Amino acid sequence: MEALLFNVDSGFLEGTVRGYKAGILTQSHYTNLTQCESLEDFRTQLSATDYGNFLANESLPISTATIADKATQILVDQFKYLRNNAVEPLSKFLDYVTYAYMIDNVILLITGTLHERDTHELIERCHPLGIFESMPALCVASNVEELYQSVLVETPLAPYFRDCLSASDLDDLNIEIIRNTVYKAYLEDFYAFCGSLSGPTADVMQRILSFEADRRTVNITINSFNTELSKEERAKLFPAIGRLFPEGNNQLAKADEIDQVRLVCENVGEYRQFFADAGSSANGLGDEDSGVLSQLEDRFFQTEVHLNKMAFLQQFQYGVFYAYMKLKEQEIRNITWIAECIAQNAKDRIQDFIPIF
Amino acid sequence: MSDDYPSLLRSEQMSLVQLFVPTEVAHDTVAELGELGNVQFKDLNPNVNPFQRSFVGEIRRIDEMSRRVRFFSTQIEQEKDVVPIRPLYDSAPLITVGPRAAQTMDELDGVLAAHEQRLTQMNESYQKLGERTKELIEARHVLRETAVFFDKAQDHQTDIRTSYDDSAAPLLQHDDRENQYSAGTGAQFDLEFVAGTIERVRVPTFERVLWRVLRGNLYMNHTDIVEPFVDPVTGAETRKNVFIIFAHGDALLAKIRKVAESMGATLYPIDANADKRSESLREVEGRLEDLQNVLYNTGSSRRTELIKIGENLRSWQDVVRKEKLIYETLNLFNYDVRRKTLIAEGWVPTRDITTIQLALRHATEESGTSVPPILHELRTHKTPPTFNRTNKFTEGFQTIMDSYGVASYQEVNPGLFAVITFPFLFAVMFGDIGHGFIIFVAALYMIFAERKLARTDLGEIVGQFFYGRYIILLMGLFSIYTGLMYNDIFSKSLHIWHSAWDFPGNGTDTKIVGVDNGHRYPFGLDPGWHGADNNLVFVNSYKMKMSVVLGVIHMTFALCLQLPNHLKFKRPIDVYANFIPQMIFLQSIFGYLVVCILYKWSVDWSKASTQPPSLLNMLISMFLSPGKVDPSEQLYAGQPFVQVVLLLLAAICVPWLLITKPYLAWKDMHKIKEQGYVSIAGNGDGNGTHRDSSDDVLEGEEEGNGGAIAEAGDEEEHEQHDFGEVIIHQVIHTIEFCLGCISHTASYLRLWALSLAHAQLSEVLWTMTLEAWLEPTGVFEWIVLIVMGVFWFVLTVFILCLMEGLSAFLHALRLHWVEANSKHFEGGGHAFTPLTFADPDFKD
Repeated sequence: MEALLFNVDSGFLEGTVRGYKAGILTQSHYTNLTQCESLEDFRTQLSATDYGNFLANESLPISTATIADKATQILVDQFKYLRNNAVEPLSKFLDYVTYAYMIDNVILLITGTLHERDTHELIERCHPLGIFESMPALCVASNVEELYQSVLVETPLAPYFRDCLSASDLDDLNIEIIRNTVYKAYLEDFYAFCGSLSGPTADVMQRILSFEADRRTVNITINSFNTELSKEERAKLFPAIGRLFPEGNNQLAKADEIDQVRLVCENVGEYRQFFADAGSSANGLGDEDSGVLSQLEDRFFQTEVHLNKMAFLQQFQYGVFYAYMKLKEQEIRNITWIAECIAQNAKDRIQDFIPIF
Repeated sequence: MSDDYPSLLRSEQMSLVQLFVPTEVAHDTVAELGELGNVQFKDLNPNVNPFQRSFVGEIRRIDEMSRRVRFFSTQIEQEKDVVPIRPLYDSAPLITVGPRAAQTMDELDGVLAAHEQRLTQMNESYQKLGERTKELIEARHVLRETAVFFDKAQDHQTDIRTSYDDSAAPLLQHDDRENQYSAGTGAQFDLEFVAGTIERVRVPTFERVLWRVLRGNLYMNHTDIVEPFVDPVTGAETRKNVFIIFAHGDALLAKIRKVAESMGATLYPIDANADKRSESLREVEGRLEDLQNVLYNTGSSRRTELIKIGENLRSWQDVVRKEKLIYETLNLFNYDVRRKTLIAEGWVPTRDITTIQLALRHATEESGTSVPPILHELRTHKTPPTFNRTNKFTEGFQTIMDSYGVASYQEVNPGLFAVITFPFLFAVMFGDIGHGFIIFVAALYMIFAERKLARTDLGEIVGQFFYGRYIILLMGLFSIYTGLMYNDIFSKSLHIWHSAWDFPGNGTDTKIVGVDNGHRYPFGLDPGWHGADNNLVFVNSYKMKMSVVLGVIHMTFALCLQLPNHLKFKRPIDVYANFIPQMIFLQSIFGYLVVCILYKWSVDWSKASTQPPSLLNMLISMFLSPGKVDPSEQLYAGQPFVQVVLLLLAAICVPWLLITKPYLAWKDMHKIKEQGYVSIAGNGDGNGTHRDSSDDVLEGEEEGNGGAIAEAGDEEEHEQHDFGEVIIHQVIHTIEFCLGCISHTASYLRLWALSLAHAQLSEVLWTMTLEAWLEPTGVFEWIVLIVMGVFWFVLTVFILCLMEGLSAFLHALRLHWVEANSKHFEGGGHAFTPLTFADPDFKD
């Protein structure tokens, strides 16, 4: 059915997004980029790609932050173009994509206010896709209740925050808990929404979101070792979706060290390689542990990129929009990384990006 | 053949040349060739990254310069009062070739940098001042608006109080009351407040958030500031509101301040005391006046700077653009570090080699060195690009054909014939003397005002008409001719000669039958038909047959254009296997139809023994019941036999077309195999020597001794003759041609349909607007006549000339692209894109 009617509403946008996707940097582009000697070379090199002359009007010297900003701006413009041309239910789907950025922005603002940073500076650091108009007022709130009542109640995030309403004061741990609870609610809601779209959208998106949920579960578990977070509270933060749900989540809730996490992950075929050559030697804390973690982080990113690439193999579904955003974000991270390496003359680590195509 | 004189029949003969350019004259050489605009350079280092090429440094520098120039032009564009920009043809050219080139560029770089620095500095201070002024203006607004508000509030309060006093206070306590009053004016507001400005779009959110944060414990008032605030540098407008919020308690006020600040509002300290307020208002106004003076001075000096930039901007843009092109071209060259030369390869029209040699010599002289670049012709198997030399007259027609497909190298160019056939087919559909005259005059105007119009920016739509002005001219001219043929002028007819028909009616008859008076109308349609009852029947039949005749002639002509191609490229097989069967097929069916049409016209059927036969039925029954013709519908004696022969001829042509070429190709391949040659793609076990390559080497040696013609590396992959491909191609070709003949002939009926529609539409327009008012008697009717006349003329121009003209244009276009081009056009070429400094975006 979707093959028959999909293009009526979304054919143009799918075509557009696939066209955008064709502009994602390839391995050969990256090879060229990593050979650059200076950021000027870098700019010349990028101007030969789909980025075009996006840095042409910047006066020298260019900073890596400018590169990242401008690249993000391109992505944001593309997204806004898609969003403005979308109709239901694609428009709703795209709104869901922005909610994640809104959550990040909210948390950023609360944390910043807690540490008494300047509000304007914080707002500038917010992701442009997650900005909503009453957002600046977040900085007056001093507890969750107030936060909810004064600002969030009129945003689409309100239902997600409803679960974590408590009069408790905002501190770092609480904010972290709020972030994870809200994100959990968001993921579950998005998952259900994609399910309601049925067809290939549901297939593709639920695969991606399941992985996202599992990644969060694993991260929460590992990060909560040796903290004051109790195991019951930890269990509450796990999204109730994903491939690890429910037994894996239960086991993770009780885990005390990385080895246990590894055992749980090995129950799922695709996740087995996350800890593959981490070895069983990671039997304590210290440098080795952090090595495993950063490796794990990279593997997560690689799997995410892989899943998002898979989304493009299927037509007539909305997964491509989500996947494009994620791939492009990864690309921006990559070029920022390379630019940073060039700027700081750290050529030995320049290869540590995650190639997309 | 056409070597001595350029013609549009075939594209220019091209040569691949190699240039050895000494490094020191490279820049000037490319500049000279760019001005000349007839060399298409090849990329000789396709494997090299753009930033590893030899002239990256220069390009980067030019990029920086062009960024500065862009910065200037955006600054000038944003300026509200128009800054004059001196056009390029008025400014003194910057010489960037010759021995002083490097210095000129350095100077230019310096000048640009200096201008940029000055401009940014001025912008900065201007912006800073502007910001301060803006703040002061806002403060003034806040003071004024709050004053109004306080005044109003005071009035209210006194009202309330007096009424309260009137009802309850005893008269005796009058003194007390006085005291109370004087004390009260000092501190009558125990409510504290926050005042400031905020962007208008944010007001609703601001209000909502505040209300929620303070749980409704506030009183907010806001008014619009009428004039918008303009950002001095970007020119963006923002509209703001003044607000004042009353609330009670320090905590709440602090919250309000925080929310306001985070929402981007600016707060101003306002005193509740009226005296202090007016004092600060005075102070603000004084400071504002000072600041505005300074701002004006800065603004005017910034403007002077911009005007100075505007004088040179165009020539800078030109230089930067050219230099960038030059260095990009130089990057395509092969850079030989050892020998200090650059090696370039490119396509040039063979005819222009001498001009290029001259240009090279000129470049050497200019640059003041004695080492000239060496030009060298290469032999190659590569297909050269297609280059049709056009002038302003043929350009439009050639573009029409090129937008369908670029002709293969040296193929017969349909653009040449389109010069006549295109306007003619258009005119067949658009035939009307009056309408043709209107577009003819319009085109004539564009041609006479050519120089003036070419300089102005006409916009996309008018620009297109201007580009096709010569096409329109011919279209108008031909329409006048066909209009004469149809005897149509604004749907009326011209009565020049004696008509062949008399209408001997005495005014009482309702129907008068025309009587032939023995005259013959010498040219075009007899005006006697105009207004006749059977006019439409006659005209329809006439135009329909005419369009078939024209169509078959056009297709036959297009088919014949195959022949010069086959002869030129030495493909005799194609003559026998394609051209001849196709021609026989077309002529035996549709050529025969045309002959029948002409014959039928030539017979006087009123005196003939049989009824005039329907040609359509004749054609159909020729296929359905071959050999049988109803004697009552017979056109001529022996018709059945002729038709059977023709049908057989056509039937033979189909297998002929289908089989001959693949068979010959197969035989050819077989012959090569029998002689013991094995294709190189197979197992190269030494048996099969590659004869071609050894031949090439030999040839190269011979030629090498003779002249300065070297062998280009044999990079072109030889086309693999795949037998299956030949078969499939030929099958498709056959089906396409045979079915195409039928559908294309039918397609030419659009000539009839459109010309009929055009004639009918113009007649409807005439009867519905002008006709009823043509004989005015009173003043009122004269006025109506004039109004209707204008109305009629406007509709004639817009609907009949523009809209109908466009539709006829499109149909003529289609007849050329599909019906004619499919008969002969290969269109597998790539266009010649020489390095040229002429920029389509730049009008000079």
